[in-house]
Amino acid sequence: MGIFFDPEVWGIAWPPIRSGILITLALALASIAAGTAAGFALSLARTLPVRRLAAAIVVYSDAFRAFPPLVLLVVLYFAAPFAGIELSGFAASFLALALVLAASAEEIFWAGLTSVRRGQWEAALSTGMSRAATLRRVILPQAVRLTIPPLTNRAIATGKNTALASVVAVPEVLNQAASIQAQTASPAPLLLAAVVYVALFLPLVRLGRWLEDRFPSP
Amino acid sequence: MALPVLELRGIGKAFDGVPALKGIDLSVHEGELVALIGPSGSGKSTLLRCCNRLTEPDGGAVRFGGRPAPSGGRALAEARRRMGMVFQAFNLYPHLTALENAALAPRRAAGLSRKAAEQAAREALSRVGLADRADARPDALSGGQQQRVAIARALALRPRILLLDEPTSALDPELVGSVLDVIGSLKADGVAMLIATHEIAFAREAADRIVFLAEGRILESGPPEEVLDRPRSARLRSFLRRL
Amino acid sequence: MASIFETFLNGEVMLESAGLLLRGLLVTLEVSVLVIPGGIAVGAALATAASVAPPWLDRALSWGVDLVRAFPPLVLLVLIVHGLPFLGLEPPPLLGVAIALTVNTAAYYGEILRAGIASIDRAQWEAARSTGLSTPGVLRFVILPQAVRNVLPDLAGNTLEAAKLTALASAVALPDLLRMARIAQGVHFNPSPLVLAAILYLLFLWPLAGVVRRIGGRTTLPV
Repeated sequence: MGIFFDPEVWGIAWPPIRSGILITLALALASIAAGTAAGFALSLARTLPVRRLAAAIVVYSDAFRAFPPLVLLVVLYFAAPFAGIELSGFAASFLALALVLAASAEEIFWAGLTSVRRGQWEAALSTGMSRAATLRRVILPQAVRLTIPPLTNRAIATGKNTALASVVAVPEVLNQAASIQAQTASPAPLLLAAVVYVALFLPLVRLGRWLEDRFPSP
Repeated sequence: MALPVLELRGIGKAFDGVPALKGIDLSVHEGELVALIGPSGSGKSTLLRCCNRLTEPDGGAVRFGGRPAPSGGRALAEARRRMGMVFQAFNLYPHLTALENAALAPRRAAGLSRKAAEQAAREALSRVGLADRADARPDALSGGQQQRVAIARALALRPRILLLDEPTSALDPELVGSVLDVIGSLKADGVAMLIATHEIAFAREAADRIVFLAEGRILESGPPEEVLDRPRSARLRSFLRRL
Repeated sequence: MASIFETFLNGEVMLESAGLLLRGLLVTLEVSVLVIPGGIAVGAALATAASVAPPWLDRALSWGVDLVRAFPPLVLLVLIVHGLPFLGLEPPPLLGVAIALTVNTAAYYGEILRAGIASIDRAQWEAARSTGLSTPGVLRFVILPQAVRNVLPDLAGNTLEAAKLTALASAVALPDLLRMARIAQGVHFNPSPLVLAAILYLLFLWPLAGVVRRIGGRTTLPV
């Protein structure tokens, strides 16, 4: 058991893992921001009375929620170069995580939008408000309540999925820990990485739980 | 004199320091129907729930069938089977049909075979006049029918006594009669019952004894005509006037 | 256009790597068949334990579940598969992967079922107890059937997540579908096996996503 806590190895592992934390955070924040924004835009586009567009968005959303993120990442990183598209590990990871989050976020925003009762639309439209104004002033404020807990959970999942980037050699926390583990033949770097992930994500998981209690879904 | 089925001695219960029952003595004999009346919050519900320990009494003793009622484990489960309970809000299992509602405990608590459990459930459903609705789920039944299924659920276990907690209070007025008729017919069959109710006319007609509960105490108790027509306490007089 | 097809959907390469991919697919299915029922069983055990536990134990369980949920699944997988040997335990690779993924997914199943149990009125417990059912009997015949029905969309969604998780096995060298596709790609120096693997994943998972959508709720705006 002691080998997991070897202070010497923890000392060796800390500096690279510390630099890995920055990359983990950068990748997480970038893909969460881009994925949420894209998902929101898609859900709004789906409210437009254009059947084909709505159908295409549903197909995208289903496909990317069905697809394991790691498979998407591997395809983007290892297959795209054959089409002349060379993505760095970071770029491929960012793209994969953002595309996957956008699909879930679209569905969550959409569920929020459709949860607001028909009467709310009718009431606003009957007062002469435009569709856009109705959406912005009446529907969205009510929909947000319902979207916050699941969106938080998907964002946390995206943050955790940054560990997948280790597979395409992005020097984030897990990747750094794995290479030092290989050098030192000790499991201690892995345990240090685990501690780092728990420190990063346990507060967020507790926050997610609190939000679910606070804003229960109907 | 018939033997007592259920005897309560000095039952007390407080919730967060607020007393709900203050030393209740009460017994129900074989074939007897005892009606508990009293204002809301007088402790009627708590008293019934102390009998089968859905609420754990703080003090006092419950005797069932002439012996101290068990306070836990298998023996308590067995005693609960023999004290059927009917709830104000029915509390039927929404995922099961009427028949399955009534057959569940005979099969899973009493350990009858599937066939015997179903047989017991069917008999109980016919006793409450719902043999033809055996395959209906609760949400397809009226409130009155749901409460009769709930009575059948208790009857299917062949209880020695039924505890009924305001069985008609959640019903629309036009549905109350059907449930009271069923209770009246059980009384005619000699089923012992302890019933909390606001239906004074029903209590007068069907009860052998009426017990008036107020602020956690039994203030009066006796045959209906004595309690209802010659109330001794001001508390009962004002309660009856306000009905 | 022809060159794109030859590169990404090369029939010859796909045919030659089909055997390898099929073996990988079987491993992926093996992992799924271990992890999904395992996760449901462990999760149900956690949720039922929490529902009858004293408050302090309930709180402890919830922190334990959150601790597991704070781990990226891949980190948990790597930690268990690469860490166990240092404790003198060397489970077969498939078992190690199954344990790690089951631990992860059970935490989510457990949380969903706990919410389901909490959604059932206390009166149902009391009614069932009043008929003499034991606590396990109450849970099994009265509470859980209703709880499962109430959270079916979430259970389906988590099953999809669990199935997607199996692809992580490739990262610890288990010869699953994704791993085999990477190997075939290396052999042929052509991405068609990867594309074929992606298609296979979609073939299995897309219908599941459709089910999740169907029982998950409405998909049209009310106006």
